[in-house]
Amino acid sequence: MRYLTVGRRESQRRDLFLAAGLCLAALFLSSLGLQAQLAITLGLRSTVLAPFLAAHRMFERSADLAERVELLGAERDSLAVRELQNADLAEENRQLRVIAGLPERVLEGFAVGEVVAGAPESGGSHSFLFRVGPDVDLRLPAGVSTPRGLVGVLRSARGRTGLGEFWTHPDFRVAVRAAEIPATGIVRPIVTGPGETLMLLEGVPDQTEVPDGSLLLTSGIGGVHPSGIPVGTVLEERESRSGWSRSYLVQPAVGPGQVRVGLVWLPASPESTVPVPTPGPAPEGE
Amino acid sequence: MMADADRSAAAWNAVAVVALVVAHFLLRPFWVGLPVGPDLLVGALLVGTLRLRAGHAALFGFALGLLESAMALEGLGGYALALTLLGYLGARSRDLLFADARFYVFSYLFVGTWIGHAALQLLGTTSPGIPVLVLGSAATAAITSLVCGAAEAGAVALAVRGS
Repeated sequence: MRYLTVGRRESQRRDLFLAAGLCLAALFLSSLGLQAQLAITLGLRSTVLAPFLAAHRMFERSADLAERVELLGAERDSLAVRELQNADLAEENRQLRVIAGLPERVLEGFAVGEVVAGAPESGGSHSFLFRVGPDVDLRLPAGVSTPRGLVGVLRSARGRTGLGEFWTHPDFRVAVRAAEIPATGIVRPIVTGPGETLMLLEGVPDQTEVPDGSLLLTSGIGGVHPSGIPVGTVLEERESRSGWSRSYLVQPAVGPGQVRVGLVWLPASPESTVPVPTPGPAPEGE
Repeated sequence: MMADADRSAAAWNAVAVVALVVAHFLLRPFWVGLPVGPDLLVGALLVGTLRLRAGHAALFGFALGLLESAMALEGLGGYALALTLLGYLGARSRDLLFADARFYVFSYLFVGTWIGHAALQLLGTTSPGIPVLVLGSAATAAITSLVCGAAEAGAVALAVRGS
């Protein structure tokens, strides 16, 4: 069978121009903003790739259906217990606020959405699509988590679908604090020797030692993630120190591959928050 | 007579390419977690370039690159660029090298997949280390050249039987 098909010189030139034009188009695509890239991605996923994605969902559902039912049952039971405990707590909180003369607590909310991880050919996925229900106003960037811990952050949105990065993305950073001791720092992903992605807590002051096993929570600084979301557990201190700060390896609370459903944080709008009074000049005569 | 045989071979080649692309997008959840597996996307592109003009091969690579980045949720533009270049250079190398030589298809698929797979990995969000890039891509290329070479050989056999 023949494969030799050397074309005429003119058609070779035309081919070269076509290839060069396509290379320029590809470079243009890579320079587009996240919003435009999301539009193209969603367009392809809802047309050409739709049958394949539907087949993947079917495989996935049939594969881990029993496991998910068990997990949901356990989650439901623990939520019921927590709900009972919280009812008392909420009432107690309300009464204390009345006594202390504080305004009513502004509750910030979460919206539930489906997490669809990307499927790169090799390695783990660093990006995901997040689909929320109608009437949800996403304010970007927005933190995504599950009751077990932090998942990632939404970077752009189009309609009800957002494009987000898992905490494994090389650009991901989150401000954290230790649950038990007064230690703060910044967490970022780190690929360890065996190719496993863990977290690295950096920027802990040299005089503060974080014991192994300490739980790290989001500090809420930056306004992307609410305060108090579990991020991970400290495994050990890293030997290499940078300057006057310590760094620690952290076992993440949530692995990106485990997440199917997530919660996106919807911070309270600025109008609904009560302004904190600033201390003015002391009244005369005091 | 020869033109008929070529046309038939091109038609069966197209069937093989479509089957490889469909298999790639359909079966990827099964080998996403494996350290080494066939790269049917690059393999399909290279099998397609065996019978496409260089410009058309570049266009095919561009389209596959877009689909791949939409599926992976990363590398939009980058994957398209890599596969456009691979398609164009693959078709041109077929023109310039001894394409009718024995074992040409297997060695073409092996070298092409090695380069293409390594390029896609480099363009991903996290690039693997050099050993993984070189050795992992070589193992992927070996498996891919066997699978896609068999698909191409089957297409040729069907074309010969039909003509």
